[in-house]
Amino acid sequence: MLEQGKIDSKQAVILMMNLVLPTALITIPAISVQYAAQDAWLSIIIATAAGLIIALLIVNLSLKFPGKTLFEYPEDILGKTMGKIIGFLYIWTFFLYIGSGVVAEFGYFLNITLMPDTPAVVFCIIVVALAGFAVRNGLEVLSRFSQVFLLVVALLVIIFLFSIKDMKLARVLPFFDAGLIPIVKGAFLPASWLGEIIILGVITPYLSKPGDAYRVGVISIVIDGSFIAVSTMVVLLILGPNNTGSCLYPTFMAVRAISIGNFLERLESVVIMLWILGGIAKVGLFYYAAVLGSAQCLGLKDYKPLVLPVGVIMVAIIALYFGTNVIETFHYISLAATPYVLVFPQFGIPLLLLIVAWLRGKRGRNIK
Amino acid sequence: MMIKKVVLVILLIFLSGFSAGCWSHTESTEEAIVLGAGVDWTKEGLIRLTTQIASPDIYASAGGGGGIAGTNPASWVISAEGRTIIEAENYLAMKVPKDIYWGHCVILVIGEEMAKKGTGMVISFFTRDNEPRETLWFMVAKGEARDFLETYSVLTKTSAQAAGFLTRMKKGYSVQLKQFNEMLASKGVQPVATLVEVKEEGVIPNMAQQESPANKQVVISGTAVFKEDKLAGWLDEYYTRGVICLQGKTVKGAVCVLPSPGEPGKKVSITVRRENIKVTPFYDGENLSFDVNIRVEGNMVEQQSREDLAKPDKIKALEGEMEDEIKRTTTGTLEKAQSEFGEDIFGFGEVFHQKYKKEWRELKNRWDEQFSRANVNIVVKAHITDTGLLSKPVGFQGE
Repeated sequence: MLEQGKIDSKQAVILMMNLVLPTALITIPAISVQYAAQDAWLSIIIATAAGLIIALLIVNLSLKFPGKTLFEYPEDILGKTMGKIIGFLYIWTFFLYIGSGVVAEFGYFLNITLMPDTPAVVFCIIVVALAGFAVRNGLEVLSRFSQVFLLVVALLVIIFLFSIKDMKLARVLPFFDAGLIPIVKGAFLPASWLGEIIILGVITPYLSKPGDAYRVGVISIVIDGSFIAVSTMVVLLILGPNNTGSCLYPTFMAVRAISIGNFLERLESVVIMLWILGGIAKVGLFYYAAVLGSAQCLGLKDYKPLVLPVGVIMVAIIALYFGTNVIETFHYISLAATPYVLVFPQFGIPLLLLIVAWLRGKRGRNIK
Repeated sequence: MMIKKVVLVILLIFLSGFSAGCWSHTESTEEAIVLGAGVDWTKEGLIRLTTQIASPDIYASAGGGGGIAGTNPASWVISAEGRTIIEAENYLAMKVPKDIYWGHCVILVIGEEMAKKGTGMVISFFTRDNEPRETLWFMVAKGEARDFLETYSVLTKTSAQAAGFLTRMKKGYSVQLKQFNEMLASKGVQPVATLVEVKEEGVIPNMAQQESPANKQVVISGTAVFKEDKLAGWLDEYYTRGVICLQGKTVKGAVCVLPSPGEPGKKVSITVRRENIKVTPFYDGENLSFDVNIRVEGNMVEQQSREDLAKPDKIKALEGEMEDEIKRTTTGTLEKAQSEFGEDIFGFGEVFHQKYKKEWRELKNRWDEQFSRANVNIVVKAHITDTGLLSKPVGFQGE
């Protein structure tokens, strides 16, 4: 096997939190609120249900082929050529593609909120370089690094608790104002975010107990979903639906507005910390999957030589896919990337693989 | 191995040298810290941006010695004109020999003419740019915002901080930029903001003989009422009290002055501690009405009369008078809003929205006229909790 390391299920859950939360906490409220206004948190709940389905789908599939990743078992199911095509499809149009989207968001966020004179590409290069360093050292290092993230999330929760006096329940009333359709519309984007859990297809073989994968998937989705729902709710309670909808980064704005006892102010640095630490790990995970996948599809013995070229590609395709400014990037993510990844890599392809595997009688062996 | 380590250490030293600085770095001594910003609409049709910039020496010197104007200025006020705020700021930057920094801006004052022209032209920059905070206090100045910022405060050194403190203590109607934005974005409420003006108040005693006895000072004088983003008019302190009450906020230490029950010529003062309001809308497709229930809690802090008020029936009578007084204030404010301004400045529309989701969709675009025709039934319930440290008036001789 290419990857020697093993991670336990607790680490896997933290890794999955790190996979979804950093960018989700900061950008999801803006887009969901534009559709569902004060009911955006209900959208997140629907999205969580969709995320659960995706997680169960991919874990089910992975456990049928123990020891093999998402890039290997399509060959067992569909044959060599088709399997390789599916594998490359995942690498190029999901892990590399969404990964570089995350890199772009990362760069723009720091550029806009913190250092307007620094070009966003500088942040992009730095984050990919750091993530590349972790990727070279393998999955174990990456998952240890992501444990730092828990601390920052805890800090954010404390800030949310302190901000209760800035909240007003009237801002999220009345429930179900615009009916069901806007709520469902608002659910697509968070669903695609939670659907990133598809990476479990890559991680499962390296769990110390692969049988735990179901638990890992379900627990991570529930934690992720509830965190996003809570933060959306907090943002709505602090800013109200109209202001939230017009912000690029509502969570950042909401935390900026918090003032505790007139002296504890300007807490947005915590959000930036979350973004930087979480962003590195999140980029790292996509990066890792892309590198490992390429090595497995190409039948290499070692994935390390691929780290540098894949990293370069990741930064390079930002301009190709995600446009040259933050408006284009957001527009593209919400209108083009979301439907594509939801329909194909996250839901369609795993379902197809599962059905074909079932038809061909390739039932899973028992897993100890 | 050894070489590798040495190279690593050298690299680290290099890296720390480079990574300490960044593109947008400025030393704090090179920053001109803006404490207050004022925006005016000039006769030539330009936007005039006035900034009050802190002079750091005053804050650095221990004890804060030079508090007297002229000898050691605490701030410096300068303005520039442009077609937009940013253009004005650009011209301003040509006059200010430091880097303009907005992060500590406490207040944003809009001049009367600018407010009539529309705040939409102003608030965009203050929300969009990453330096100013949405928590800055938003206010409208009678007259020009520049005159307002050019005043001086004895107690807090700069007038921007003075105005900031005044609003922060919530002695009048105070609103932060983010709250103003929220009201502006909502169809269920028309925005209101603090009204401030410059008055000659107070003297500095030891200077009284030589120089002008009173200096110009910032004061809160009521509420500015907007229609969409344009100034529609203002309410004085008395009606401001009504706005605060009907919006469900409490002024700290608001006072009700009532006639003493036994001696109507003498007065009794009651401080309001807590206020609670519940608005219930009723709508049958045509007629709109509201039930407003206000519950007030206060304590008696002063009496001019000599009668013994520490009796349950007297307290009851006082409570009754307090109810009448608050009802008079709120009804007066409501009438002003309905007939004079013809708009909902209390957020009743949002309450209506919560109860009647479907009807709101039709009404929201003509809410103000609906509101103006609405029947509002105000019921006040007052409760006096204590009478201060005394039970009977001082010098009470009994009967």
